[in-house]
Amino acid sequence: MNIAVLSCIHGNLEALEAVLRKIDQQPVDQIYCLGDLVGYGPYPNEVVARIRELDIPTCQGCWDEDIVEGLNACECSYPSLLAETRGRQAHEWTNREVTPETRDYLAELPLTLQQSNLCFVHGSPHSQHEYLLPDTSAFIAMERVLATGADTLFCGHTHIPYVRNLENSQLTLNIVHPAPHPPTHSPTPLPSLKRIINAGSVGEPRHGRPNATYIVYNTDTQQAELREVEYDYTQTCAAILEKGLPAIFAWRLSKGLEYAEKADDPTHVCER
Amino acid sequence: MLTVVAGPCGAGKTTWILQELAQMPTPAVYATPGVGPVPIDATRVAARFPQVEIFQRQPETELLQRLAAGVPVYFELGFQLETDIAFLEGRPHRRIALVAEENRDAGWQLWADEVIRGNQSTLNLQAAQVWRAPLSGQVFDPPSLDTFWQELIQGAYGKVHRAKGIFELAEGQAFHLDFVNSLPGSAYTELNLPRWVQGRPNRFSGIEVVGQELDEGAIAATLKDCYLSDSLLTAHQATLKDSVPLEVV
Amino acid sequence: MTHWAILSGINGNLSAYEAVLADLKRAHHPIEALYILGDLVGPHPQCEDLVQRVRQPRRGELAPQVCLGWWEEQCFNLHGMGSDPEATELLAQIGPDGVEKLWKSVPRETVQWLRSLDFGFFELDCLLIHGSTVGCHDVLTPETPPMQLLDRLLRADANTLFCGRSGLTFHLQIPAGAVTSTVTTLDAPAQTMTQQVRDRQVVGVGSVGKESGKATYTLYSPYTSTVSFRTVPYGTQGKGFS
Repeated sequence: MNIAVLSCIHGNLEALEAVLRKIDQQPVDQIYCLGDLVGYGPYPNEVVARIRELDIPTCQGCWDEDIVEGLNACECSYPSLLAETRGRQAHEWTNREVTPETRDYLAELPLTLQQSNLCFVHGSPHSQHEYLLPDTSAFIAMERVLATGADTLFCGHTHIPYVRNLENSQLTLNIVHPAPHPPTHSPTPLPSLKRIINAGSVGEPRHGRPNATYIVYNTDTQQAELREVEYDYTQTCAAILEKGLPAIFAWRLSKGLEYAEKADDPTHVCER
Repeated sequence: MLTVVAGPCGAGKTTWILQELAQMPTPAVYATPGVGPVPIDATRVAARFPQVEIFQRQPETELLQRLAAGVPVYFELGFQLETDIAFLEGRPHRRIALVAEENRDAGWQLWADEVIRGNQSTLNLQAAQVWRAPLSGQVFDPPSLDTFWQELIQGAYGKVHRAKGIFELAEGQAFHLDFVNSLPGSAYTELNLPRWVQGRPNRFSGIEVVGQELDEGAIAATLKDCYLSDSLLTAHQATLKDSVPLEVV
Repeated sequence: MTHWAILSGINGNLSAYEAVLADLKRAHHPIEALYILGDLVGPHPQCEDLVQRVRQPRRGELAPQVCLGWWEEQCFNLHGMGSDPEATELLAQIGPDGVEKLWKSVPRETVQWLRSLDFGFFELDCLLIHGSTVGCHDVLTPETPPMQLLDRLLRADANTLFCGRSGLTFHLQIPAGAVTSTVTTLDAPAQTMTQQVRDRQVVGVGSVGKESGKATYTLYSPYTSTVSFRTVPYGTQGKGFS
């Protein structure tokens, strides 16, 4: 069967509609969403309504969690004072804008979703705030997939889509103490192929173009396709200005830049 | 000897003067009429050549004294100034124009004794806006400044033809940032000044932006978001004390 | 060759700690550093005396370097400073009587001091910590999947990880590992590279106070990279003259 996986919509309704229209052209059996429905963008309630209308299984993103709990992402998430200020402005705006209904829905979202040998998370299986990047240590990446018990881990959060195959893994473990009887010296058997597939972002791209990205995956052939969708981003820019979000967000979206820069440290997990 | 250097915005006038000064064994005088409270070029020159005297609001008589004593004097004329300055009338002076091939017209050829190749300028003088702001006492969070600068030169706050500034950073250094839209990227130069690691700096820093349809309010507001607050600055300087040996001036 | 002495799980047991210190005095190799990887305190009548003993070492004794552990986190929870102010996990583990015992064993002033402690130590190429950089609750044992052990090492960029959460003494080595990674992005074709690791290890440093009458701890020589374990009996049983 074919599934579509999308992530990080961030209140960008125009981008979401464009992706849904594209999916409709070659329909899939199931759509999954990896969270961050709200945050930065001008239509948080409308995006949530649309996802609910289509009954798309969704896991909770870091922004969704923040809005539910009324928290602001820890300051270590931002690499600069400027980004931190912009993040806070976006959080305050979104907090004022979301309805109680939207908040309740986001609060109920599960942290992970599973379908046979596929697992779906926002950041990583351990945290909504952890980035799984293409150049994260291959061993760390492997551990993340193994931790889910799945063969393929779908994630978002980084806003740059990729497909990563992890194979030919070998790991030797010697137990020096307590010395086993009889002594063992054998390499630990590890599974052959594990994958991490990152869906990128629908509403807040980081790959240098304002287009939305998502994934189409075939569970029989295991083929994964990165899809990029053009849409009229100027509509979103206009809405950003009209609804009183920081004007700089409109410019940054048009350049394919994230609204506020995120810290690069991939395995950093904040202890609040 | 009095040398007057003129040319379009961003042509490279200050850069040429710095090259001249580098070859000069004797003290010299540098003056930039008309920049008011934002003497970015003068600060850049003074940091590089501490022995050069910067003239800003000193009386004319002092300037005449230097000339009489044989001290070389360099006048840099801002792009928006007319080249006929009262002081120069009747006084012998050398006229240098920094102009790109594409910008050369009869006017420059007529005025200058020597025309030297400069950076291209596409600025429409009629529509040009010049925005200057002193930033003295403000200390910047470097990654914030970087983001702001990239946004500025890529047109987030209006069409920018030229941007330059001197900024004090959290680690105590003063940096000169320079952008001309006819050249790729920006030049970042650390000024040869002692690191300021205690309290707010009381030396000059500031920014000048030349362009069209500039959103001055947004530029000013974004700059403010890049400042370190008193408490952040104090905390940061405390950590600097532990790690960096203070430079002796 | 000087050694590091690495302890964990004293759990407020002063007698056990004194036995270890006495053992260290008798050691063949000089000790250049003394680490206590969390669980310094615990619901034990000697706890406050133990804390004072550690905070004020005697003349000629090394000043112990102490980091936080699971019991310290429970104290923070009890005093409303931790991540679980309801102390649900603690209640489930030791019940309300145990909670009261802990409350009595660790006064507020000591809790304030505990708040000043580090989360862990990084020395040369070694991470010394109670659980792991994931947290004080993270239990590593010889049964932990090897990739998970390696993950804990790589998170801290350490070649050796000393931990105390399990209370066990163990020494696990990962002499070699490899994974081939192929990444495809929107704009670049598939790029393959093989990543390798060599010579990593995880050491469980034992527990001083967990098992009554028997303290275990670890000696490590950073110069020869040798790990050894010491078992020290303590208490009145089997000692003295009949």
